[in-house]
Parts: sequence; structure tokens; C-alpha cells
Amino acid sequence: MSPESTPSQRLADMRQAAEEQWRELHEPEIPVIYVGNATCGRAAGSQETIASFEESLAEKGLEARLVKVGCLGHCYAEPLVIIHYPGYPPLMYQKVGAGEARVLVNSFLKDGSDPCFEYLFGALEPNDTFPTLMDYPRYLFEKRVIMEHCGLIDPASLDHYLAVGGYQGLAKALEAGSRRVVQEIKDAHLRGRGGAGFPTGIKWEIAANASRHPKVVICNGDEGDPGAYMDRTLMESNPHQVLEGLIIAALAIGASRALLYIRAEYPLAVETIQQAIDAARERGLLGADILGSGFGLEVEVFQGSGAFVCGEETALIQSIQGNRGMPQYRPPYPAVAGLDGLPTVINNVKTLSTVPVIMRRGSNWFKQIGTENTPGTAIFSVVGDVEYPGLVEVPMGVTLEHLITEVCGGIKDGKPFKAVQIGGPSGGCLPASELRTPIDFDSLRQAGAMMGSGGMVVMNDEACMVEVARYFVDFTQNESCGKCTFCRVGTRHLLAILQEITKGEGSEEDLEELQVLSESIIQGSLCSLGKTAPNPVLTTLRFFRDEYLAHVREKRCPALMCRELIAYYIDLEACARGCDACVACCPTEAIFTTSNRKKAIDQEKCVKCGECVYACPPEYDAVRKVSPPEMIPDQGIEPLAETEEEDEK
Amino acid sequence: MSDDMVVLTVDGLEIKVPRGTKLLQACLDNGIYIPNLCYLEGMERPPSSCRLCLVEIEGRPGPVPSCSLEVENGMVVHTSTDALRRLQQTAFRLLVSTNSGKCSLCMANKRCEMQRIAKFLHMPLRTKRLRHIPKDMPRIIEEHPCIDYESNKCVLCGRCIYVCGRQEDAPFHLDFAGRGFNTVISFFGSELPGVAEYCRDCGACIAACPVGALSYREDRQRFLQQLERNKASRARK
Amino acid sequence: MTDLPATNSDELDPEEQRVLAAIEAELPSMPAGAQNLIPILQRIQQTHGYLPRGGIYLVARHLGLAPSKVFGVATFYNQFRFNPPGRHPIKVCLGTACHVKGGEIILENFARRLGIEEGETTKDREYSLERVACVGCCALAPVVVVGEKIESYVTPSKVEGIITEIEVRREMAAREEERNES
Repeated sequence: MSPESTPSQRLADMRQAAEEQWRELHEPEIPVIYVGNATCGRAAGSQETIASFEESLAEKGLEARLVKVGCLGHCYAEPLVIIHYPGYPPLMYQKVGAGEARVLVNSFLKDGSDPCFEYLFGALEPNDTFPTLMDYPRYLFEKRVIMEHCGLIDPASLDHYLAVGGYQGLAKALEAGSRRVVQEIKDAHLRGRGGAGFPTGIKWEIAANASRHPKVVICNGDEGDPGAYMDRTLMESNPHQVLEGLIIAALAIGASRALLYIRAEYPLAVETIQQAIDAARERGLLGADILGSGFGLEVEVFQGSGAFVCGEETALIQSIQGNRGMPQYRPPYPAVAGLDGLPTVINNVKTLSTVPVIMRRGSNWFKQIGTENTPGTAIFSVVGDVEYPGLVEVPMGVTLEHLITEVCGGIKDGKPFKAVQIGGPSGGCLPASELRTPIDFDSLRQAGAMMGSGGMVVMNDEACMVEVARYFVDFTQNESCGKCTFCRVGTRHLLAILQEITKGEGSEEDLEELQVLSESIIQGSLCSLGKTAPNPVLTTLRFFRDEYLAHVREKRCPALMCRELIAYYIDLEACARGCDACVACCPTEAIFTTSNRKKAIDQEKCVKCGECVYACPPEYDAVRKVSPPEMIPDQGIEPLAETEEEDEK
Repeated sequence: MSDDMVVLTVDGLEIKVPRGTKLLQACLDNGIYIPNLCYLEGMERPPSSCRLCLVEIEGRPGPVPSCSLEVENGMVVHTSTDALRRLQQTAFRLLVSTNSGKCSLCMANKRCEMQRIAKFLHMPLRTKRLRHIPKDMPRIIEEHPCIDYESNKCVLCGRCIYVCGRQEDAPFHLDFAGRGFNTVISFFGSELPGVAEYCRDCGACIAACPVGALSYREDRQRFLQQLERNKASRARK
Repeated sequence: MTDLPATNSDELDPEEQRVLAAIEAELPSMPAGAQNLIPILQRIQQTHGYLPRGGIYLVARHLGLAPSKVFGVATFYNQFRFNPPGRHPIKVCLGTACHVKGGEIILENFARRLGIEEGETTKDREYSLERVACVGCCALAPVVVVGEKIESYVTPSKVEGIITEIEVRREMAAREEERNES
């Protein structure tokens, strides 16, 4: 390599070896098995699957390559396995446990005779024999920009990332220089994916123009929304993309120090990112002279200790400095005076993951995706009562309806849709009438919700909106740092009122107080945690007022969810003599035998866990749920006399 | 006009103050009272946590804390609009909602900052509209050898922490502990043997408290004696 | 506020004394400077499972900070705990998805089964129970983390199964030991 070679040339040299490796995987001579092994895959048992593959292969004396990849986002289908058998297209299998892995080895990998259609999800490439992934609506509607390679490359392999075009954006950026990088990101209208949607290019420009040196860039991976996990997935599945974005950001603002702030609750993400940093440094993609450009950068990992408020920029900085993570009044904004008083840019994981793609493919390409005001894609973790929960990446501007019914397969078990909660604790609950809302920062905010972190919980008619509001307020008041009056004490009062309502102790005046207090908290709070904390309350009050009224007027929970307002009973007509299924499952021994040898629930002992509903065989389906509890009909129940019980035994 | 002075309008009144002055300080110096708790003169970066000193500034969105804002030439400030009063009253109601409101039994009675603000905002010291929600902890916390801390009176303004941190050559500090609604002022470490050596018993924290949440316990005498003994032993060395 | 056990240095149990001695030995190898406070607390907790009260003094001395400052930081973050965890720490996820799917009921079932409340450790130090806000496996809700293992789609009857499994393993290990000894 000549010493004068450009960053692109140096990268091209590196790519050659990487591409050779890649070809070996993609035109395989021996079977290649990819197993999704991120945190979610592991939770579903991928480690056991891997062990089973290894064991079965060894037993049969078969040769195959096992590649541990990240997450494709299809959480409902985990553990997910892709098998590329020579001569076949790569085939994806779902819910591959240890047993299925064994079957796959014995039937398919053994000689390629039986590709096990029963577990097959689809082929990754068009072919004549197998259905392909593009036959699923999810793949048709998804647009993968940031998650393009997640679940398809080995996160521990820098070569994999290089082979799919990795670090080309960095090479381009190094050649273009700071000013043109900032301009490119500004031209792309990239908006921060952390929630608020502030234009990233402008943030960079402010910091680049700040006179103080050195400058700092921080990747915010403190994903605290209790229902969002795309940042974790990105860090675990494609860590180099995050890293590349971070290096480009540092170059753009002229930073010499970079930090990755990752929640300590994400140990695998920490490990994966650390591995990526070491690999990048070893290959000259980090360090004193990146790709021979003269630009130098070191990256450190800082583990966040679990405080939701540290997602807020000033609080995050406080915690890195070793303080309590309490937000500070802005201005000064961190881009002017942040960590240790130095100009500091803080970008979310998703934002930084987008940056390399923009640099590589250009802002014009990026702007073709999404809407005019918000180009690009959005990643949502759609969970709750949908058929196919998981991570989805769609172009901005897609409607909620589209996302829920087409991409995620609609509501599970054909139940009616009730609400979708978007944006976690800072977001809101939207009803069916708002489903036409396009997904972008401004439209969602107008509807009263928020893009926030991209957490999305879809709920059917069994979810009580008052209870959902109570849950989120409980969360934020717990996570309030305690600094300012409105958030510290105000959310505590919101919680107290909501608790009373869900217990049937609320009044109509309480609804008024909720509204007034919420508005004051929004106006008066110091930071965005407080300023958005009342959103779940305000949106549910606005869209589901009837449900609140049922709680305060009739002491009734229409969704049959608030435990203080419901009761379970067994319909003696439906209950079968001699069946003991419910008795066996009850954790508090609340179910007893009646004089006619059927079952009844002792309301004093019942803790309303609902386990008997599931235990009752579907052909009887005898357990009923009512609200308010006084609705239990009088069935003239008498317990079986003790002597008889003895006889029975 | 000298360059060091700034002219601004507050509630229709023109005032002239040195450049760099915080807006709240400028108002207070010119006889315009704005309720406040967490601010002390000379603070470089006030916590702006009590949210009582909110004002409106023409041309800027939303209410802003006057303690954290530097005066600017031509600023037009409103301190007493209905919207501001409502916010301040809510903040006040929230602050007193943890407390029992038995002022006559409190040592800060008649010199309590909350009483002054109550009068100014025409608010009772015992909120009827909101529930009384005391903090989830003992009423009096006796962490310090001779200072009692009453968490339900405390408004967490942090003045005590600020003044303690400014005592010269005092390795002992008090600080916030816990989080959220149950945040407290903690003297953690003061039970260490020989703490009297650290805490100079200057009383600054007690003096700085606007509401009487900190007070000397009766066995202060014993603590002072210990302090004397420590001094004497140091002198011998 | 302080869920710290009231410990008087005279009545420290031997286990805690051992932990304190270990912390004292480790500290000199850890970096100085206030900005290292959180990483140091994390390392201590990772090694010993908790931050003993005395450890807070030691860290304060090491970094030249006031003990109240270290205590203030440690009590601010969810991660830090001040009493030893059980050998089988059970963390019930109460993230949004888990909550909607009945995470609270799962927590209650563990509490009832183990006879401890959330945030407590059983007397024999076998189990501790706590709630966590989202482990990021929302599609598998409700989720419980037992030790290092994530259990998905947990139901009240599965709670029984999880505990039984641990008990059986313990029993088997005990028998194994017995056999080896004899």
C-alpha cells in the first residue's frame, strides 16, 4: 500500500479479503447455518438451538458453518434460523428450538433431501420452488435502510460489514471533509431519531462552529422506554454501522473524543460494541490516523446505570461526569457547552446508524424515502396484541393503520382494535379514529402522541385505558429525577388520582383535576421528561373519556382489566362435574367444590390472576369475568359437605 | 448610557441594571417581588428547580425561570399575568401538599418563605384541592449527630447543599439522596466516628433553609462539646 | 429513603467484612477522578452483587469525594442495590408489553411463592425478587430474568415451574455432594 493512498483506496484493499470471505458464505460449498443470537433470540432459546445444531452435526459427522447473527426483527418467530444449503436458495426457518434443530440436521443438512417445509418461513431469494419473503406483506411494505443488514451479518465480524459496503461512508466523509459532511446531512434533512426530531445537520453545524476545543460526540444508547428495543437491536446486530456513524459525526464537528452511552441493562450490546471498537482500532478505522487521513479519534463505552431521565441530554452529561443524572436548564445547549463545558453533540443510535447510509448513497437518494419534512425511515417496536410483533422499519409517512394491519398482521385472534400507544411514557394513546395519522414527527405530535423512542404497543378491547395511563404515570413518576416541583410532586399527584380511579374511588372532579394538573406540568416542568409525562393522561382523557366516566360513575371497568373492579366466577351451567383443571392451577387455593360437585370461587381468597380462565378446558369455558364485582349472579352455591369430600377421596 | 448597564421593561416599569445580572435578581433589586425558593444571590447556574420564579418574555415561547435568565437590553418582561399566577399557585399547592400545614408548631413560623409566598399568591398553607401526600419515610430523619431533617417540610430547593459546598475547607458536604418524589437531603457519612472534625457546625445549612426543614436537635450541646474536644486534641498535636 | 441496612461497624457480619476487605484491596487499582465514580460503583456491584454501606465510604475516600455525594449518586440510579442479592435473583419485567400481559400478576405470584416482597431477599439468601423496567424482549412478554436466563411467556403456573426447577437442581446438587463426600 502506498503511503499516499486515499482512504477509499485503503478501504478497497481491506474489502478484497472481506469479499472473498463473503463469497464463501454466499456461494457455499458446505451448508451455512445462521442463527439469530441477539438478546431476544437468546430469550427464545437460541443458545440451546445452537448447541443442538453443533451436537447433531457432530453426531452425524456432518460439516457445516455456523454463523451467529443478530436480529432480523421478527420477534414472533424466534429462534430464527437461516440455512443455506449448496444448491438451494437460503431458507429461513421459524421457531427453531433444540428439537427442530435436530430434525433439520437429520432431514435436511444430512443430504439435502428434505428441506422441512413444516418449519419453513420463506426463501430469501426468488426461486421456483419455495415461497419467498417478498410474498409476505411485511416484506413488501417494509423499507430497510438502517436495519438492512441486521440479522444477516455476524456482528462480531468487521469483514462482514465491510463486504456489505461498510465504512465506505466514512471513507467518503474523510475525503470530503467536515464542512461538506455537515452540508450533506443538512441536505438530507435528517432529523434526530431520539424522539424530538431536531435536525441533525443543524446540531452538528452549531457544534462545528463553536470556538471551544476539544469537542465531544456522544452516541445516546440509553434506551429507557419500557417497550422499545430497536437501539439495543442495532447495537447488537450491526455495531459497526453505529460506530461508523459516530466516527463520521466526530469528523463533522471536529471532535477528538467520542463516547457510546449504553444502558447497563444491555450487557450483550455493551460487549458487542466493545468488540467492534477493538476490531475497528486494529484495522485502522479508529485511532490516531483513521484510514491514513490524519483524522484521529478514540471511542469509549460508558455504561448508564438505569435512569430513564438520562435519555435527556443534560442529564446524560451529568451522569458521565459522575453526578446524579439531573437535567439542567438550557441554554446553554450541549452543542455549545456540554460535557465538561465542551461543545458536545449527542445523537441517538438510530440517527447515527442512518448517517453512514446517507454518506454512502447520498442525500438525494435518502430524500426519496419518507416524506418531505421527514425523509427516511422509522423503526418501531410493535408489540402487544398484534399477530406479528417485532421490529419494523417503514418509510416515514406510512399510516398507523397500514403499519398495524398490513405490516404486523392486524390484531391477534381476530379481536377488535382498541388503541395504540406510541412513544412510550412520553407518547400517547390513539384510538381507531386516529389510525389514518401518518407516521412522522409532526403528524404524531398533532394527534397528541409522539414519535418518542418508537415504542408501539397495540391493544385490543381487553386493555383498560385508565389503567394504561396509570401505568405510564407510575413509570414516569418513578423515574422523575426529583429536581423540579411540577414533575416531582405533580406526577405523584397524577398517579394518586389515577390509582383511586382504577380502584373505583375516583370522582368526576378528579377528571377535571387530572386535566388541569397535566397542563400545568407540561408548562412548568424543567425538562422534556416532565413536559411530556402527562401525554398518556391527556390523550386517554381526550379519546377514551367514556371509559374514565364508567370508572368514576359506575365503579365499572369496561375492559375488565382493573383488578379492584372485577371479579371472576364460575358459571355452574357450563362447569363440568368432576373436572379439576381450575383447582389445580389456582395459586391461592380459592376454588372449591360445590354441593353438586361443580366448582366455585371463594371471592375472599381470589387474587384475580385469571389463571383459571386459561386452565378451564375450552369445551366448557365456564369461567366468567364481570365488572363491577357485584355483578356476580347468585347461583345458590353451597360448598360440598366435608364428609362427602372425604368420601370422594 | 454606559455599556455595562442594560435597560429592560418589567411589568411596564423601566429598570436599569448591570449587564450579566440574572433577571430575578434585577427584579428583586428594583422592588419587584417574584416568588422564589431555590435561588440565592451569586449563584452562577441556579438549579431553576422550584419553578416559582416563572415569567413571560415578549417574543419568547412559554414561561421561563427568571433566575436562570440574564437580562438583555430591551427585554419586555411580565411577572404577573393570570397564566403565570395559575402556574405559580399550582407549584405552590404541590410544594405544600407533602406537609401537614401546622405552622404554629414549626420553628420557622412567621419567617418561613412559604408563608410569604402564600400571602403573595393568596393561597392557604394547607391545600384543600390536592390530596395530602406525605413522603414515604419517617417524619424526622436523624442522620446528622445534632441536626434534624424534616422531609415533608423540605421543598428540595437545595440551598443548604449550595451553602455547605461553599464553606471553605470543609470536606463534609450534604447532598441529595434518593430520587424522584422521595428525594431527600442526606447527611450520609455524618455518623462516621470523628465527623465533628468534618462538620464545623457552622449552621449555614440551617440558616439557608427557607422553610425550617433543618433544625438543631436538643443534644446539640453534646455535639459542641465533642467538637471542642476534637479541636483541643488537634491543638495538642 | 435509605434502604440501607442500619449497620454499625461493630456488628458487621463476617460476609460483609470480607466484601469490604475485598473492596479496599481492589480500589487502588481503579482510576481516580470524580468522573470514574459510576464505573467504579458498577465494578464493585458486578463483583460483589451489591454496594455495602461501608463500601461507599471507601469509594468516597478513594476519589476524595464526600460520602454523601457518593451516596447521592448511588441512590439515584436503579442499578445499584445496597443489600446482597439472592443466589437466584429473580427480575420480573414490568415494561409496557409485559405490564399489559399481566407482569404484575407474575410478580405477585413470585412474591407469594417465595414469601418475600419486591426488593427483598429470602432469609436463606437463595432468592431475591425485584422489578425491572423492560429487558427489551417485548415480543415475548411477559418476561422474567432468573439469574442470567430470560424466561419468556411466563404464566402463574410457569412461576411454580421455574421455582421447582431451581429447587430440583439444588436438591440434585446437594445429593451429588453428599455422594461425593461419602
